[in-house]
Amino acid sequence: MVRNKKIKVLLSKVGLDGHDRGVKVIASLLKEAGMEVIYLGMYQTEQNIVKAAIDEDVDVIGVSYLSGEHLVFTPKIVEEMKKNDLDDVLLIAGGTFPPEDIPAMEKMGIDKVFRAGSLTEPIADYIKNNIKKGKE
Amino acid sequence: MKRKIDIDQMVERLLSGDRRAAARLITMVEDEAKGHREVMKRIYPHTGECSILGITGSGGAGKSTLTDHLIREFRKQGKMVGVAVVDPSSPFSGGALLGDRIRLQSHFLDDGVFIRSLASRGYLGGLSKAVYDVIRIMEAMGADIVIVETLGTGQDEIDVIHVCHTCLLVLTPGMGDDIQAMKAGIMEIADIIVLNKADLDGAERSLRHLRGALAMACTEEGTWVPKVIPTVSVANKPGKIQGLSELASAIAEHEQYLKDSGAIDKVNFERVEQELGLIFKDELQKLIFKGLKGTGKKRKYIKSIIDRKNDPYSVVEEVLNVYLNPGK
Amino acid sequence: MDQVNQKKQVETLEGSWEDYIKAYYEKPASFKSWSGYDLKEIYTPRDRSAEEYEKDIADAGTYPFTRGIHANMFRGRLWTKREVVGIGSPADTHERLEYLAHQGGSGLNTIADVTYEMGLDADHPRAVDEVGLTGVNITSIRDMETLTRDIPLDKVSWSVITASTAASVSMAQYVAVAKDRGYDPAVLRGSIQNDPIHFRYCGFRPACPLDLSIKLGSDVMEFCTKKMPKWYYTTVNMYDLREQGITAPQEVAFGFGIAMCYIDELIRRGLDIDEFAPRFTFYVSCHIDIFEEVAKIRAARRMWARLMKEKYGARDPRSMQFRFAVHTAGCSLIPQQPLNNIVRISYEALAAVLGGVQSLHCCSYDEPMCLPTEKGHLQALRTQQILAYETGVTNVVDPLGGSYYVESLTDKMEEESLKIMKQVEDIGGMEDAIRTEWLDAQFESEAVKRQKELDSGEKLVVGVNVFTTEQEKSTPLGVQRVSSASAKQQVQEVRELKRTRNMNKLKIAIARLRDDAGERKNVIPAMIEATKAFGTTGELLGTVREVFGYPYDPMEILESPFQ
Repeated sequence: MVRNKKIKVLLSKVGLDGHDRGVKVIASLLKEAGMEVIYLGMYQTEQNIVKAAIDEDVDVIGVSYLSGEHLVFTPKIVEEMKKNDLDDVLLIAGGTFPPEDIPAMEKMGIDKVFRAGSLTEPIADYIKNNIKKGKE
Repeated sequence: MKRKIDIDQMVERLLSGDRRAAARLITMVEDEAKGHREVMKRIYPHTGECSILGITGSGGAGKSTLTDHLIREFRKQGKMVGVAVVDPSSPFSGGALLGDRIRLQSHFLDDGVFIRSLASRGYLGGLSKAVYDVIRIMEAMGADIVIVETLGTGQDEIDVIHVCHTCLLVLTPGMGDDIQAMKAGIMEIADIIVLNKADLDGAERSLRHLRGALAMACTEEGTWVPKVIPTVSVANKPGKIQGLSELASAIAEHEQYLKDSGAIDKVNFERVEQELGLIFKDELQKLIFKGLKGTGKKRKYIKSIIDRKNDPYSVVEEVLNVYLNPGK
Repeated sequence: MDQVNQKKQVETLEGSWEDYIKAYYEKPASFKSWSGYDLKEIYTPRDRSAEEYEKDIADAGTYPFTRGIHANMFRGRLWTKREVVGIGSPADTHERLEYLAHQGGSGLNTIADVTYEMGLDADHPRAVDEVGLTGVNITSIRDMETLTRDIPLDKVSWSVITASTAASVSMAQYVAVAKDRGYDPAVLRGSIQNDPIHFRYCGFRPACPLDLSIKLGSDVMEFCTKKMPKWYYTTVNMYDLREQGITAPQEVAFGFGIAMCYIDELIRRGLDIDEFAPRFTFYVSCHIDIFEEVAKIRAARRMWARLMKEKYGARDPRSMQFRFAVHTAGCSLIPQQPLNNIVRISYEALAAVLGGVQSLHCCSYDEPMCLPTEKGHLQALRTQQILAYETGVTNVVDPLGGSYYVESLTDKMEEESLKIMKQVEDIGGMEDAIRTEWLDAQFESEAVKRQKELDSGEKLVVGVNVFTTEQEKSTPLGVQRVSSASAKQQVQEVRELKRTRNMNKLKIAIARLRDDAGERKNVIPAMIEATKAFGTTGELLGTVREVFGYPYDPMEILESPFQ
């Protein structure tokens, strides 16, 4: 029996993009939804993200993209996750992208994309319902 | 990665320095998952040597920047460093924003540094019960020194003084912290007081205040007089850092003092006593409430108290009687 | 049988018409302004305490300028229709600039990409993946030459949108090219955003440490004041602050606070307020609550006039004029049902014009998805043109002046802004507010508030929490892609330049820059010389950074090649 279980979330920005209002708001609101959230900060590389995800043993990685870099960095992150055996960690993305790119991002390995203007509840619910709690 | 807990494998991997095993084990301990006690029992004999450094202070004092620089100092000494950074859980949602890792960017890719963010999960002292085991896990993985960084309110049974060998309190000039700290008696707890942002106005005066207050308070021969170390630990100006090597020396000095004077034994005794007390309390509470719940008695007891047919003391005596004298 | 069917039919009809009938009687749920202020049902002459028109309102062009900085406003000159452009390589950006200019735009406006604002050359390891994605990177004088080719710099008005400490390099690059083409800097017209203090809040903290921001920002301001009388040397950017989620009064209060940091520094350097203040400008947001935005602008004008006169002792009326450009609020736009954004942008542009703006940028409707497509950009320009030529809002100065509501709301905006400015003063002033991260805390808590307003339905946004539809599969007017070929070519050219330039000449110029920075002189002249010697953005900025104790490279990867 597992008691006291908390969902751990790692949020991060990648590359040089400095729009962090959204990711910080999500961090705050996921905390209010009962999750333990680590915001890694700006200018992260895929190595930083994956290493932190391992050391912090997170259930979810959330990446924030607001400068058109989503198709450049997603494959790098997914590749690094695969290399390190993190396929049971949920990968979600938020920010600004054309809807045309969403199928591509999902194909690359993102489990769910949340565009700017999303409400908080669907994000929290999605996480709660989809984390791979095979970590029993 | 396999998810089923294979205790032998876990222990073996941890002792060989596997970070992921350490990370998974920490989660198990935090979540009180099945099997974690077994693993901890096996690990226990491999622990007890590493130094445990506590860093506390209010927000804005620059704790995290200090931690960042200290990690660098210890790494220079060739030490492997474990870092447990603790943030408070929300009493309303149970969630937490673990916001210290972000300030330790320069160590992210250093394999000699293992950083773990923890939430206090209901404990008010700025630490969680899991921290004892987290420190052991980090040591078993290979850490020579573990830093525990927390807000440290001094208000709960689990506090940094019960967990660490050397306690640092970080203050800044002119924030009135020095006066407040003296009032709260926190000074009696810290082994080293760091006056950070010592380049600000009022630093000289704060320094004098603190040193004066400490000199007055500590009059016993042979005891450690808390040192006050001024530092300037600006985050992004490498050339502007001051006082860090003095701080590292003071920490080493305190460690040596603990060994030489034998005070380390007292510290260890109190640590174990404290932890034992916590585990007992926790276990007994769970046991009793579990038992009461199972029989439906918990609800009955509580109702009878509300109806003034009974009172809390009598209920506890009655229940304990049953547990301590079964069959009578 | 028939009866049963009939009854069923009536029941179904009633069910589906119920909502429709309800909608007819619908009442709005709240009567607060966007920033959260309660509003009366109606405002009357009884709402203005004393009709001190001359003192508090006055005609346009007269202190305190509440109604407008010029007496005749748009009758004298329409606002500048200046759409922001920045895409791919300097050549790509040049192409888009020409396109818009020939479609009826009246001002040029180029924006730096993230790599340039961060002070990185296009070939920096962290830059190569992102060059040109959201603006243009000008690494060397050659890039600036390409950007400005064939454009008569003495005749056009050019807005250079570089905000960070890299603005010092941008200014040097622009002047260097102008000089090479034979122009005296004194004839150049335009502006440079140059507001590094605020830019730390836009994700550029490594490039904009506070002391360096004040230093380099003021260097540009001082240089332009003395050498480029037709140039606006700063556009203190309240818009970006508003984008963090703060309210209208906070926008003005914090924007003014930052402006004062620069003003205090310039005065400390010995400049007279009237020497430079007439060229001081602002970048302001226009959000969706039309009346609140107009009131905010009118309040800002009155506050600025009083601030300049009473606090700084300005005597020249031009020093007291709140000169501003507007960028319609990007954060009010959403990706859901994107064409609706055109409507939002129109209302916001209306507010800007009713507020008496000097220069306007309308967002492109696809802002929440990507860089503006050519069509989107054109649509934004057309929005301005319809406003200017069809609606008649330009006919009369300050058309909302005298409205009991607007005058009341103007007073309210001023009152709230002043309260916040006092709060900042009480904690030690703007520099302290920034250093202690007090301002960060404000931004974070307001941003969370805004999201909660949406989550709870307290604020309604069509397409987000009301009248939602299925997620679109495509963007209505197509998606703007940035050619990676362009970026790759620019990176190649930068590498080639570094290989082939005369290093001796450059070393001498860099040494001079280092010396000037060390002696705390104005570094712009040395930057101009270094630019002419083919010094790059990263090299110029890095050299100054080192003198001030910062790592050469904001990303802390590269070392200075000029030890």
